[in-house]
Amino acid sequence: MSAKAYLGWVLTIIALAVLALAAFNAAAEHLILDDSNGPSLQTVSGFERVLKPAWLDSIEPEIVFVGSSRMREGFDPVLVDKAFRVRSFDYGVSSITAYEARRFAEDAIAHPSVKTVVMALDAFSGTNSAQKTGPGFDDLRLKVTPEGKPTPRRALWLFTTRYLSGGAAGMHALGLYDLMQLRPGQTAADRPDLFEAYGRMTMQTMHHDLVNRNRRVFVMGRWQRGEFRTFLNDLCGRRDLRTILFFPPDNAAIIALYRKNDAAGFDAFKSAVLADVRRHNATCDGKVTLFDFMNDNAITGSPLRQGASDDYIDLVHFRPAVGVRLLRRMLGHGNADGGLGVKLTGP
Amino acid sequence: MPFNSYPYLAFLIVVVLAVLLLEARLPWGKRAFLLLVSYGFYAWWRADFILLLVGSTIVNFAIGSEITRRHPVEKPTRSLLVAGLIFNLGLIALFKYAGLFVRTADGLFGLNYPVPGLFLPLAISFFTFEQISYLVDADSGKAKRYSFFDYALFVAYFPHLIAGPIVRYNDLIPQFSLKRSRQQRDEDLSLGVTLFTIGLAKKTLIADNLAPYADVVFSAAHQGVAVSSSDAWLGTLFFAFQIYFDFSAYTDMALGTSCMLGIRLPFNFNSPYKAASIIDFWRRWHVSLSTFLRDYLYFALGGNRKGPVLRYVNLLITMLLGGLWHGANWTFVIWGGLHGFYLCVNHAWRNVLDALRLKPGGTLAWLAHPASVLLTFMATTIAWVIFRAEDFSTAARMLYGLVGKGGHSSLVSFSPLAIAALVALFAIVWFAPNSMEMTWRFQPALGPPKGMAPVREIRFLRWHMTRSGAVATGFVCVAAVLALSNLSPFIYFQF
Repeated sequence: MSAKAYLGWVLTIIALAVLALAAFNAAAEHLILDDSNGPSLQTVSGFERVLKPAWLDSIEPEIVFVGSSRMREGFDPVLVDKAFRVRSFDYGVSSITAYEARRFAEDAIAHPSVKTVVMALDAFSGTNSAQKTGPGFDDLRLKVTPEGKPTPRRALWLFTTRYLSGGAAGMHALGLYDLMQLRPGQTAADRPDLFEAYGRMTMQTMHHDLVNRNRRVFVMGRWQRGEFRTFLNDLCGRRDLRTILFFPPDNAAIIALYRKNDAAGFDAFKSAVLADVRRHNATCDGKVTLFDFMNDNAITGSPLRQGASDDYIDLVHFRPAVGVRLLRRMLGHGNADGGLGVKLTGP
Repeated sequence: MPFNSYPYLAFLIVVVLAVLLLEARLPWGKRAFLLLVSYGFYAWWRADFILLLVGSTIVNFAIGSEITRRHPVEKPTRSLLVAGLIFNLGLIALFKYAGLFVRTADGLFGLNYPVPGLFLPLAISFFTFEQISYLVDADSGKAKRYSFFDYALFVAYFPHLIAGPIVRYNDLIPQFSLKRSRQQRDEDLSLGVTLFTIGLAKKTLIADNLAPYADVVFSAAHQGVAVSSSDAWLGTLFFAFQIYFDFSAYTDMALGTSCMLGIRLPFNFNSPYKAASIIDFWRRWHVSLSTFLRDYLYFALGGNRKGPVLRYVNLLITMLLGGLWHGANWTFVIWGGLHGFYLCVNHAWRNVLDALRLKPGGTLAWLAHPASVLLTFMATTIAWVIFRAEDFSTAARMLYGLVGKGGHSSLVSFSPLAIAALVALFAIVWFAPNSMEMTWRFQPALGPPKGMAPVREIRFLRWHMTRSGAVATGFVCVAAVLALSNLSPFIYFQF
């Protein structure tokens, strides 16, 4: 075979594959963003660190939920948008690190459309500072750099992420598959086998959780606190922004484990956050509201009928309907359950 | 602009097409264009440091030209050479080492001088070394006279600018004006695309997937975690493979890029983990740096001409400075010193064997070779711990973990998948042919310098231009491009 023919074959294959990939990604993104159930895909685990920054740009939401998988599964924008007549975005990612939480929040508040940021504080739990970011995270996709400046050439990075990356192709393929499985009239809630956020805890899951999380603690390390304070500093001048932080409603059985394993650390975490938020509110224009749902309340203490629960997927991940209840309480809506959780501080 | 990024791929396509258009019609235009895009390539990172690159080029060219003009009929040129060396070493000392020196002085003498926060200009170690070699050769009468234009292109030529290979002007400049036949051009393009693909695949499909495992263990050790034996071994081995594939990938991509443009860069990487001694390792790892250190430092110190004791001292000094070249951290110096020590032991061992006329034969030789390879791998891997660690306490925690005196951390699972990955990685680095061996028939690089390990052209897995080969290359390239979701810089970019 001549060198020219060899080159022709190689380049043709690459060009066709790249074109096919770009075309698939473009078409899939269009279909997902246009589909009425499309926002429910934000609750699905996959390549969320890769694609969610691009989705945030396209959706231009008013409310953004930032945090770990608790947030990802607990707030379905389809339910939230309907209940509150807003456009929301779920920026939850699996095993989020404190740095990622701070950076995703910075990304969210840099978008002019965003008026409210809701964040679960478990993102700042832990003492391990060895792993700064999770797989797939890249600062270049976010609107601002860690120093607060606009990210150089971000449009280019987002373009390549959206249309040329394998991560996007994976998430798009998964998303399209899930949406295609929904029959007309069905929503994500009808297919918990595809949308895990709508699953229900079973006896088996509960036992598994109790064993696996047996040594789990809920404490805040020094590095995590540093990231939290940096995040608060970012909010200081943002009078136009409503920021709500909360301790998530892990089930009472898990809270008991936190207390059993390190009660002092658990209390210190809450006190540290409260102290930082109070100090922030006393000195800054952009106020922060802090709620504690990690106490004895109607959700954490909801009855488990042989391990089954209407509120939980497992002992820490609450279901989207709970997310709506929490949001009602946090936004102070008329029909909110005033006894749910405690408002610790804030306007 | 990192080689493993979409912007670089687009840049490369444009540059190759433009060079194809220009080289037949307007040869000087091709050189001008390459110089322009090389500066653009550098400016993509930070435009203001272009001034440093251009300034350094002008000063070195002026000094080198004056030395060449005076040599050998006029006055001695040594003072000019010294001025040039002071300029180059001063530049690198200022930007790269000032912080280290001030921090160390502060620590030792409690001076409390402010540590300068200068930004490290990308590639400064590489373009400084290349220009030092030009000045030294000019002083010894080896340098030919070239135009400023060609000299500037030699310094800034983008495929080698950021992380090598370290190029000699006499090797590169004559190639800028070479004309290629149509067939040669097609072969260069095919070879270049294939090499680039192999490199990209090594980077995105192998090195980048090993990095998180190595990073998590070293970061934990840096945070004060007493890492367990299992974590320490997995972290260390994964880093040993990460840096191997990362640097090998970079080299393939640099050579591949340059092949597409019809220019051959120096040979730089030859399966270093197949080395059966530390001497052999340094003939295979970063060959262009080893050659530079040998020719311009070790020989300049006297090499082995001044007796066995000074030979060992010279070896140690060369390797200590070679370590420091890698970065402004004492860990790099100790890493270099450790390799210097290894080299001394290796030479002494050889001398003892020669004196006793001992040479293993038959079955013993058959057993000695794999044992030597394993021992060399272990020695270099232990040294990588110091190279990778942010500070000595991190290195100490890792080394304690390696000898079973660490803690009980469980950061990386010693799972069947991890074992399978390690087996596959060992199989590749010990038994698979490297990209140079596969493509050597087409001369993808300038031949190994004198004294370095030769390239053995292989039969099995030899690269052929076949349809199945083209399809395989195309699909490997697509898989590697798909994995480009994140921008993950090459390890050697920081040097």
